[in-house]
Amino acid sequence: MRAAAAAICVLCAPALAQENSDLARIPQSVDNAAPPASRAHGKYYVEDDFVLSSARGDLLVALPTPPSSDWTNRSSFDAYDQWALDEKLSFTFSDRFNLTEADGIGFPAGAARNDLREAYFTWQPVPESYLEFGRINLKNGIALGFNPTDFFKTRTAVAQASADPSALRGDRLGTVMARAQTIWDGGSITFAYAPKLHTPRPLDGPSPSWIDPSIDQTNTADRFLFALNLEIEEFSPQALIYHESGRTKFGLNISHPIGNSIIAYAEWAGGSEPDLIADAIAFGKSTGTLPPFVPVLPPTSTAHAFRSDLAVGASWTSVAKITLNLEYHFHQAGFSGTDWRNWFDTAAADPPATPELWYIRGYASDQQQPMSRHQIFWRADWSEAWVRDLDISGIGFINLTDGSGMVQLAANYNLSDSWSLGLYGGGTFGGRRSEWGSLSNATSAIFQVQRYF
Amino acid sequence: MNRLLLGIALAALFIVPAAAQTKPPTAQEILVGVDKVRNPGQPFRLTNVLTEYTNAKPSDRVTLVVFAKENMQTQQFSNLVRYIEPVRDIGKMVLMNGSNMWFYDPSSKVSVRISPQQRLMGQASDGDVVTANLNKDYTAQLLGEETLEDADRVNRDCWHLDLKASSDEAVYSRVEYWVEKGTNHPVKGKFYSDSGRLLKIAYYHKFVEQLGGMRPSETIIIDAVDKNLVTTMTNSDMKAQDIPDSWFQRDYLPRVKAD
Repeated sequence: MRAAAAAICVLCAPALAQENSDLARIPQSVDNAAPPASRAHGKYYVEDDFVLSSARGDLLVALPTPPSSDWTNRSSFDAYDQWALDEKLSFTFSDRFNLTEADGIGFPAGAARNDLREAYFTWQPVPESYLEFGRINLKNGIALGFNPTDFFKTRTAVAQASADPSALRGDRLGTVMARAQTIWDGGSITFAYAPKLHTPRPLDGPSPSWIDPSIDQTNTADRFLFALNLEIEEFSPQALIYHESGRTKFGLNISHPIGNSIIAYAEWAGGSEPDLIADAIAFGKSTGTLPPFVPVLPPTSTAHAFRSDLAVGASWTSVAKITLNLEYHFHQAGFSGTDWRNWFDTAAADPPATPELWYIRGYASDQQQPMSRHQIFWRADWSEAWVRDLDISGIGFINLTDGSGMVQLAANYNLSDSWSLGLYGGGTFGGRRSEWGSLSNATSAIFQVQRYF
Repeated sequence: MNRLLLGIALAALFIVPAAAQTKPPTAQEILVGVDKVRNPGQPFRLTNVLTEYTNAKPSDRVTLVVFAKENMQTQQFSNLVRYIEPVRDIGKMVLMNGSNMWFYDPSSKVSVRISPQQRLMGQASDGDVVTANLNKDYTAQLLGEETLEDADRVNRDCWHLDLKASSDEAVYSRVEYWVEKGTNHPVKGKFYSDSGRLLKIAYYHKFVEQLGGMRPSETIIIDAVDKNLVTTMTNSDMKAQDIPDSWFQRDYLPRVKAD
């Protein structure tokens, strides 16, 4: 028996020598690894974004106020942290301070801006149940390019360098509210109430002081949200009911994996509302920007009707570390092809009406809703492209009615655990009578530096 | 985000030895023994540090807090992973509960559903080198008995196993495994692609007492494709923790505390 074993060992010797040779590849420094970090919360960083942009010189519908500078530099300090005040009580704080330089911006009145994103207390009276009070960023929605169920997104946008919807969603103002949530095995329920605390600030009103928390943007109506999440057969459905100023909307999020590399998802919201034109003009009149006697232009019905918003798409990840997202967006209140024709025709026939026409587009942007009824959104991310710390990504929108669109490509490189560099370039394309081709911004480039602490 | 997903599969890992056996076991029995080593039999949390070495020098490091609990029905581990470092990723979370996988960023407060393929991006697949439930995912064949040097250059008498994937959850189509006789300590693993290409070599060492058993506190993973790359996974602070099933869903991600 021993002889047999010895014989086997002799036969195995070359193979074992090969196996043991793998040990030579283990670095000596492995034995001197540093201990794990102890900090478990808090994220602080400074960022500088230098933006160069070029404007179209042949706009079919001139802007009421053309851009005054083709460059902008924004220096920011960003902070996010949480503190446990006792076993059941915690405080969350999220804030960003910006200092902007550009032609036509006065210092310091127009240059400094503080965006208080969140400041709220969380009380956990019983396990997995939470009561929260303060300014909270409450976000819903499974899609990337357009979130019909993200009901608290309106009027929360802050100054951004990147056009990526994910960046817009990441850095925005919260809403003062009370929120209750309970979580159980297989689901959760959330209820939120955001009170009216102020009358709405006009869309193009004077700039507030740098420290103004912009409550007159985020809390201008009593709002209620009920959300039910369930974990059912890998679909993770979420149903929502939202109520604001006499309007009730319903929402649904659903997602499901397909195979090993695809996630399919859909997000829908619907409710009775006017179309975008009527909604924008009514807001302009109610806030005093537009005179009460101006007609609704382009002509449209001001009647409320049940309208739907939909984002449906899928993500696919390759073994080469590339993730692609493709989404179709339907915004029933948005511009149809006829609305776009009317928008351009009205501007040509009635030049004094152009401020009102641009007001509608500004309103849609402020509400973070698409201008058009049908559009495509795509996103591509290539992680560790060519070298380990380089990520390359791109996003784009395409208007399915007129074929115009926008593209932004980005390269982000982590120099170290503390330093990151970003380079963004993009632009809009399309004919002069198209959604994106009628915008002033033609191309832009951003150089970004971030330093984490 | 993709860089953040590195290591997320780790949660299911670590664990170790079973009682010494007196009769020659079958290959599958050895695998069961290894799984007992991996599974402490109770929910737990630990701190895991992934250190990447490029050309023998430390080049990248990620620290995670992992919460893990075995689903008794599926025999799969459900995991919550929270990033502690690097600083740019502090507080980011990954949930893995079967095919229900989500990524959460506290800065944006948005949860994004991810696919199993996304989970494996970056160095994440390193986690699967030490993932649990080998007995469920692989069919084992005993190739023989061999004496092998472990990561500390100590000779170990081992069973040499050849594992073939037998379930969809198996990440690798083939694995060679060396298991120390008597203790069922994993000593070495070699992981192959569908085409038979060697992808990774793993060494398990620094066995310490954790949750009632001797378990490897460090795994050294040699990248067989990128010859300059070695990653270590060091786990510490392993504690039993009562983890309700309600934690393993997307709405709990913002609620996880690492402290």
